[in-house]
Amino acid sequence: MVQLKQGQFMQAVGNANEINELLRRYGVKFGIYKNGVFNEQFFPFDPIPRVISAEDFASIEKGLVQRVNALNEFLFDIYHEKNIVRDNIVPEDFIYISKGYLAECEGITPKNKIYSHISGIDLVQAKDGEWYILEDNLRIPSGASYPLIARELTRIAAPQAFEENNVVDNRGYAELLKETMENANCGGVRAILTPGRYNAAYFEHSYLAELTGSVLVQNDELFVEDNVLYHRTYSGGKTRIGVLYRRIADEYLDPLTFLPGSLIGIPNLMEAYRSGNVGIINAPGNGVADDKGIYYFVPKMIKYYLGEEPILKNAPTYLPFYDEDMKYVMDNLESLVIKDVAEAGGYGVVFGSDLTKEKLEEFRKTIIAEPRRFIAQEVIDFLDLPILDNGEKVMRKADLRAFVLSGEQTKVWASGLTRFSRNPDSFVVNSSQGGGFKDTWVLSR
Amino acid sequence: MGTISLEHSDRLYWLGRYTERFFTTLKALGDLYDKMIESKQWYKQYLENFGLADTYADSKLFMRSFIFDKSNPNSASFSLERAYDNGIVLREEISTVSLSYLQMAKDTLFKAEQSNNIRMSLLPLEDMLYSFWGSINEHIFDDEIRNIIYIGKTLERLDMYVRLKYPYDSVKKEFVRLRKNLDRVPQGTPYRYNAKYMSVLTEMLVSESDYEQNSVMATEALEHLFERSEVLV
Repeated sequence: MVQLKQGQFMQAVGNANEINELLRRYGVKFGIYKNGVFNEQFFPFDPIPRVISAEDFASIEKGLVQRVNALNEFLFDIYHEKNIVRDNIVPEDFIYISKGYLAECEGITPKNKIYSHISGIDLVQAKDGEWYILEDNLRIPSGASYPLIARELTRIAAPQAFEENNVVDNRGYAELLKETMENANCGGVRAILTPGRYNAAYFEHSYLAELTGSVLVQNDELFVEDNVLYHRTYSGGKTRIGVLYRRIADEYLDPLTFLPGSLIGIPNLMEAYRSGNVGIINAPGNGVADDKGIYYFVPKMIKYYLGEEPILKNAPTYLPFYDEDMKYVMDNLESLVIKDVAEAGGYGVVFGSDLTKEKLEEFRKTIIAEPRRFIAQEVIDFLDLPILDNGEKVMRKADLRAFVLSGEQTKVWASGLTRFSRNPDSFVVNSSQGGGFKDTWVLSR
Repeated sequence: MGTISLEHSDRLYWLGRYTERFFTTLKALGDLYDKMIESKQWYKQYLENFGLADTYADSKLFMRSFIFDKSNPNSASFSLERAYDNGIVLREEISTVSLSYLQMAKDTLFKAEQSNNIRMSLLPLEDMLYSFWGSINEHIFDDEIRNIIYIGKTLERLDMYVRLKYPYDSVKKEFVRLRKNLDRVPQGTPYRYNAKYMSVLTEMLVSESDYEQNSVMATEALEHLFERSEVLV
């Protein structure tokens, strides 16, 4: 881990309460449903930043740009010619069985051929310093707003930390997002579609709308007429929407195309999109590329589409779908982490070492019965990061969500969301499961 | 941005109303605190102004309920919660900074409940509310959006002043403010006033004696001010 100069480092630590007070003041919250009840919570912030050296970031940046470019090529290919399937690089089972594959998106080419405009790539750093990709999030990755506002507030509470360290300013995210939205704009205003206040990430939706000067909308304010998406105004008029940064899942987007029972979608949105009259960020159907099963094939995609060697490594992964991998998984189940490909948010993750003998056997049978449903990974002994726990510095597991924005160029935001587990025995860092967050400092030299 | 939905315009209007209701309630209760130094019975007058029954064992319980009880729809706390509920879905219109003053007000009110000197601990709320309105002016570029909030604010203030039987001059001043805001409303939007109720209101406020005799009619006219009719101005 990169060492910071101690004086300012301790200043930031000493001001933890002030920073959390400021975060509270600015309403940095996320919502959680527990036992059917909605609770709004302040997202616990730890003031000790994750620090990434300039050299490390340069390499991560190259690797992420490469990966996201390949994933965008893959999405275009899958919804058009499917050459990667024909050439036997990715078995077709993994495409058509994936819940994220949407036949309704066949043949659609979004503006500038970009499908994943905002990619959230989760990485971990192993104890030997190597970075590994844990998963790709190409649908609606959230979390950028937290380090963004935390940086703003930390600069107020601990200015010397920034005077004495060369930290790249991360506050250009909104501008980057705006550029990305404009690049996908098909003519009209920018809008962010939220399911509403009771969504877990509502703070982020409204904050990004404020920073990018976009209209924050809910579905009942929108309608499609002659394949054009409009915002219904209070005077009875209409304003054309050129790009929609939607923060709702694919299956709820358009009740006439996907789930008919969706109450948060916009009828005929897909027709407007198909006609090229509105850009949707991220493109519907991206789930096929961030499926946990497809993850295994991303290094192969990089070679196939870009003719390059992958710069960033995947965590060693096994697909029980392949006989050889199934054998390995059966032989080593107790030391592997098994992930249900249909789950997200830290759910459906089972550590073999946590299971009793009986449970292990039971689980073994489930994998044999449904080999496509699971992937298995080696447990990476990733670097613990220091966090403050009641004023004491303790070490906890943490990951990094990097944000890659694809507009005219593919750019990596020089920051990211570092999430950590507050539980000393847990690898699960998701906020929905009680995790906290840190800012991510990228050093400029 | 230049595009306001009906839902947002409604939220803006109620943000203005509830923020003002919170502010005026606090000020009125502050005045009441002062009066009750001499006689504890003044709170009964306050209840009477709003047509509410006295179900309180003493003035202290009344005060606690009207300041802190979120389940009492006439309390300051209730109004602040509703103001925040409306504000939180308007962050991109009113700004994170404006919203932060409501969050601070919530936190201050919460802490005040534990205080030995409640009136003293409520004082910073006045600063926060003035800052909130300053921030609204500073951050909202679109006059139409700002005007909707101000219509809510001035209408609420007029309504509260009439109910609290504030002096005629203060009421008249607020009426003029409301008219100015209403005259800026564009055609075809929900805040065009109903001419019938506006003339009732105008007549009620012609002179001090009209006001004293007809305050109930004035509050009724305010209630129906945006009711659809053939003559909307």
